[in-house]
Amino acid sequence: MRTVTFLPSYRKIDVERGTTVLDAAQRAGLSMNVVCGGLGKCGKCIVYIQSGRVDFDRQKYGRFFTEAELQKGACLACETTIQGDLHVVVPESTLIQEQKILVEGLDQEIDFRPSVKKYYVQLQPPSLADPSPDLSRLLWGIQKSGGPVAEKMYVPLEVLREMPGILRHSDWNVTATIGLVPGGYRVIDLQENDTSKRVYGAAVDLGSTTVVVYLWDLVTGKVVCVASNYNKQISCGEDILARVNFARKNGLVKLQALAAESINQALTTASNTAGIDREDIYEVVVAGNTVMTHMLLGIDPAYMIAEPYVPVVRRALSIAASRLGIACNPNGGVFAFPAVSDFIGGDIIADILACGMGEREEISLLVDIGTNFEVVLGNKEWMFSCAGAAGPALEGGEVLFGMRANPGAIEKIAIDPVTLDPKYSTINGIRPRGICGSGLIDLLAELLIACVIDRTGRINMEINNPRIRRNAHFPEYVIAWAKETDIGKDIVITENDIKNLIMSKASVHAACLSLMKEAGVTHNEISTIYFAGAFGNYLDKKNATIIGLIPEIAIDQIINIGNGAVAGANIALINRRARKTLDDIAYKIAYIELNAEKSFMDEYTGSTFLPHTDLTLFPGVQKLLESCRTRRE
Amino acid sequence: MAFDMNFGWTSTIGEVVLGATNADGGTRRRSYRIGGGTTLPFMEDRAGSPSPLIALEICDYLPFWPPIVTNYCGDLVNNVGEWAKAADGTYGADLIRLYLTSTRQRNFSDIASLGKVVEDVLAASSLPLIIEGSNEPKIDSEVFQKCGEVAQGERLLLGTAEAGKYRSIAAAALAYNHSIIAQSPIDINLAKQLNILLKEIGVQRDHIVIDPYTGALGYGFEYSYSAMERIRFSALKGDTDLAMPMVCSAIDSLTIKEVREAEPAVQDEMAIQWEFYTGIAAATAGAEIICVRHPGTIPLLRKAFTDMKKPGTAAEVR
Amino acid sequence: MALKALDIYKLLPKKNCKECGDPTCLTFAMKLAGGKADVELCPYLSDEAKSVLGASTRPPIRLIRVGMGERFFKVGEETVLYRHEKTFYHPPGIVFRVSDTQAPAEIAAVTRRVRDETFTRVGTDLRFSGIAIENTSGSAKTFAKAVATVEQEQAHLPPVLIAKDPAAHAAALVHCGSYRPLLHAATGENFKEMCALAKKYGCPLVIRAATPDGLARMVKDCTAEGVQDLVLDPAPENLGAFLTRSTQIRQLAITRLVPELGYPVYLDATATGQQDAAVALGIVKYASVIVTDPLSPGATKASLTLRQNIYTDPQKPIQMNPGLYRVGTPDKDAPVLMTVNFSLTFFTLQGYLESTRIPCFMLIVDTEGLSVLTAVAAGKLSEMLVRDSIKKFGVEDEVTHRKLIIPGYASPLSGRIEDATGWKVLVGPRDAAEIGEFLHEEWKK
Ligand code: SF4
Ligand code: FES
Repeated sequence: MRTVTFLPSYRKIDVERGTTVLDAAQRAGLSMNVVCGGLGKCGKCIVYIQSGRVDFDRQKYGRFFTEAELQKGACLACETTIQGDLHVVVPESTLIQEQKILVEGLDQEIDFRPSVKKYYVQLQPPSLADPSPDLSRLLWGIQKSGGPVAEKMYVPLEVLREMPGILRHSDWNVTATIGLVPGGYRVIDLQENDTSKRVYGAAVDLGSTTVVVYLWDLVTGKVVCVASNYNKQISCGEDILARVNFARKNGLVKLQALAAESINQALTTASNTAGIDREDIYEVVVAGNTVMTHMLLGIDPAYMIAEPYVPVVRRALSIAASRLGIACNPNGGVFAFPAVSDFIGGDIIADILACGMGEREEISLLVDIGTNFEVVLGNKEWMFSCAGAAGPALEGGEVLFGMRANPGAIEKIAIDPVTLDPKYSTINGIRPRGICGSGLIDLLAELLIACVIDRTGRINMEINNPRIRRNAHFPEYVIAWAKETDIGKDIVITENDIKNLIMSKASVHAACLSLMKEAGVTHNEISTIYFAGAFGNYLDKKNATIIGLIPEIAIDQIINIGNGAVAGANIALINRRARKTLDDIAYKIAYIELNAEKSFMDEYTGSTFLPHTDLTLFPGVQKLLESCRTRRE
Repeated sequence: MAFDMNFGWTSTIGEVVLGATNADGGTRRRSYRIGGGTTLPFMEDRAGSPSPLIALEICDYLPFWPPIVTNYCGDLVNNVGEWAKAADGTYGADLIRLYLTSTRQRNFSDIASLGKVVEDVLAASSLPLIIEGSNEPKIDSEVFQKCGEVAQGERLLLGTAEAGKYRSIAAAALAYNHSIIAQSPIDINLAKQLNILLKEIGVQRDHIVIDPYTGALGYGFEYSYSAMERIRFSALKGDTDLAMPMVCSAIDSLTIKEVREAEPAVQDEMAIQWEFYTGIAAATAGAEIICVRHPGTIPLLRKAFTDMKKPGTAAEVR
Repeated sequence: MALKALDIYKLLPKKNCKECGDPTCLTFAMKLAGGKADVELCPYLSDEAKSVLGASTRPPIRLIRVGMGERFFKVGEETVLYRHEKTFYHPPGIVFRVSDTQAPAEIAAVTRRVRDETFTRVGTDLRFSGIAIENTSGSAKTFAKAVATVEQEQAHLPPVLIAKDPAAHAAALVHCGSYRPLLHAATGENFKEMCALAKKYGCPLVIRAATPDGLARMVKDCTAEGVQDLVLDPAPENLGAFLTRSTQIRQLAITRLVPELGYPVYLDATATGQQDAAVALGIVKYASVIVTDPLSPGATKASLTLRQNIYTDPQKPIQMNPGLYRVGTPDKDAPVLMTVNFSLTFFTLQGYLESTRIPCFMLIVDTEGLSVLTAVAAGKLSEMLVRDSIKKFGVEDEVTHRKLIIPGYASPLSGRIEDATGWKVLVGPRDAAEIGEFLHEEWKK
């Protein structure tokens, strides 16, 4: 036996004299670049022998090295046999490089390190000379082809039962799927012949309205398809509260099944479109709000939506897919994001992961807006979070001509300050049917700049313009005349709509201020604001600042991360290290109950003004508005 | 050693002039300059810092007025001019606050009569005047125009602007150089917002008096008290959008249960004490105009305010 | 200045060991900042951190207890200059003064009045706090007799003994020493004797000096004599003097600039010659014991109400008392409008209702001060609450119809309210401004 020590990691392994360095390295758990498969043809497996005796033909392979490298003892690991105890230096460049890939919607490069991997192994059939059992034969084989160390792998009974048959039937050429589980590795699946190029994983945003699935090729690190559909639980209740009530009346089993079905439907669509077999999906990573996650896992969420609002679990969970009824490989796993409280769920943890605020020294503010909103303030050391009801106005609800971001929704508006005529664009460019959230934010900002509304959102009826008029109840501004629209009616925004919008934006902003106050942080200390949520993609950052939806900071420091839940799920799917940080993030976040926060009401009334009652918080907006006003006068 | 009282104030309350004398183009026998405070109420160092002004509220249409007052004052109240004269003379008020309650009748439209009322009151008393106009968007503009016009040059204080209706009153005030009462519902933020709105349509800071809305003692007064303290505090800390004098008018004081249901023998006393305790507390919190409806409250408040302004002599103790 | 959670967090060991009972140091810091936890719970705090944190959590004004038995009162332990900064905790004791030269029957009558008189407001019994007996006669014997007269009424009221002569106090304490009376007053001349008496009977002691530094000096003297329970009388000769000195004392105490002034303040309202004004001023400006001659009926209710108002917690959302309110004089057919007890909602609606000139009832239900939208979202506004409120406030006796108008934002509850109450529900507008139009159109139908 010879002892080989690999540097700089100091991994040691004892091997027979005559073993190749490559073999030894793989057994020691190092993944080396073996482009040619260890045939001495690619010259990628360069190592340096620091001390000890080896057999290596320098002459034959000299062309791969410079003189200097040879001086330092360079050789090809696959063509070097071990003669004595060795110290071998493995340079960075010889180890397998992690692929860099870009997750959509994010400027962040994520290392590609999936936690599921397939190994194709060609085993020697057992013989009298080599009578080791099937299992160790397989595990050794896996280890030899660069997989984890045999002792660290665990094989579940289901796989064991099928193993002997598969091995023999395939003539000992099999592909093993290995997944990373806490404390080791698990042989998820065993297939005949080489299927090692067929490993897929899915990242899922389990929303209460929609389910979004990103299907990844875990070999190439590419997204192969994206699919989404409605959450089928809607049949049991429109909003979360209704569904919790439904669950309370013994409906939990049904809700669990519907959650799984919703995911399955999206998985099926995606795999069909991409032309892959669902059985080749080995992992499904799910980020959902707390209630959705609980329901998918079949845990009763009822106790959580009443005081004191504690979730049942606060850490990430891995579950066999078959137990949840998720239609991927039956031995595959489902990974569920952790939750902090009733409102700060896996979707928010996913946002945090996606924007990376939990890794930085500087303080960031994360704002996720839907019908509810969640706000997180912090850095790598501490985080405060809170949540509240924004009301549906920012999503187009409670606004006369509000609508979701569907085709025909006005999503961008600019108003001519002199004629007060708007210029707008709609989703898909068709005739307008209504206004969606981002359009409403533009509208509010533009009306303010054009002095059509004052800072409390009241329309100045003294302006003489056909677009400004009074309906039965309220003053209103006409955005599109009936003849331009797709609905045959004037599309207007009323003073009451504006009031609802201001109330919504005020809750969000007041929540930001409450957290900032709790932490003792001023807006100058916030380095970045991240926007997540349904309309984050289209939001005009400048206008969001003008109306005081968020604190004023430099525009280029405001970043839309769009659907942060799916972005975070994507990252957790393809990078197993990121996944490990999730529990840490969930643990670190302190949750502040705004209802119990006495000063919240104060912050709220202060925020019911455009952009805010305390204009010193918005010096830029203040200047802009002043110049607009003087221009008008 | 003596201890310094340093509250860290950096700013002063803005001043507002009420009423105009002959010299200033009006007909009032005197005018007041309120505000200018540099610290907590009654703690000014400077001599001659003003006491809070006491305004007696009167009206031109009685059905909306507390019967305690009309009973106490007798026939007088049937003639708003007589009432004003008594406020000035017998009752000794500093200011008269005239409520045009006639405008609150359903479908009121007799704007011309309002001009007459204002003229009568201006003629009957030479005190500076506060006028409370209508509460109805449809006639607001005309009412305020009328009042503003009839009393042109008198530097009225016109009430009441709110966030939902401030344009018509501001227009009248700007046109005829009067000041405005800006009322918001017991909230420092809302008070500030209204002041900004007024500023943005051209009303100068020295033409605004803040009314944070005063709940009656026992009926939310504590919120008003704190709102006033906070406004004063923020103003002294440098918030110019709140650095205006404040007016306190607990208009419900005389209709609350404790007063309404008091034994007849003590009813007046109950009314007076209710207004008096409210007035003392409000003045301490920073109100510079205290409005009352019961004439009996006026001398009590005046005596107290005079005494509250006296500095302690810090003499050795007996 | 109160520390922020994050400032406190920076002082904590950041071990996240959970030994304090909190999951992380940060959550523990949040509790500390909110005054909901004790620094001692963390075993790993450095002494330095402890002293920083401890100093900012100890109340700057000492808590003093006057009297024994069920009518005793506590004052002090205040932490702020303005009630909106947190709250005022211990309302001042308002104490009626009698003189030992008054006839025993008069003294007894005042004692009985304080003993028996209550005024009930919003579910609380408001009362005066005690009896002060003043040694006007100059004779220790007469003084002791007057004190005995008070004690005979078995009122167990906290007594305040006012005399310049320690001998008079000594004579009176024979009668009431076990009641923990407040002794007035120690001055430069008599403080040694007064301290001895206070120590002997375990009584709180008022010290009297006209300047804050005079008071501070005497506090040092008296604490040196072993008396800790002190009350400060700044001896104001007029209202302005009281206002200035009381404010000054409070500020210096709160900021801990002069810790010697960290005691409650005493006010003799009679000395200013303007008793009612002094009582009002004392209540709002930091007096903790107010001595006054018996108050008139009006001043009685006004002062007790002002005290109750000023000493309610301002950080609770502005709430109305739930109940059935009238706008105008509604009759049996008048509309009933239900809404929440958030006061801004109430005032706004009330304002608009008044301007409609339609007499009606406002049924105000208890949502703990939350607005309609938040109350619905938080589940505080429910059909049960509406049903119970209709019962509790006897709405069924006030009107003959069974129609309830609910706010527009409560529309999701309309069906459930109908089921629970049996009333027909009309969903009103979301905006109170439209209520007039609504009533004219919908109700008249
Ligand atoms: S005991 Fe101290 S160190 Fe441990 S978690 Fe609590 S605060 Fe942190
Ligand atoms: S693996 Fe290709 S040369 Fe060694």
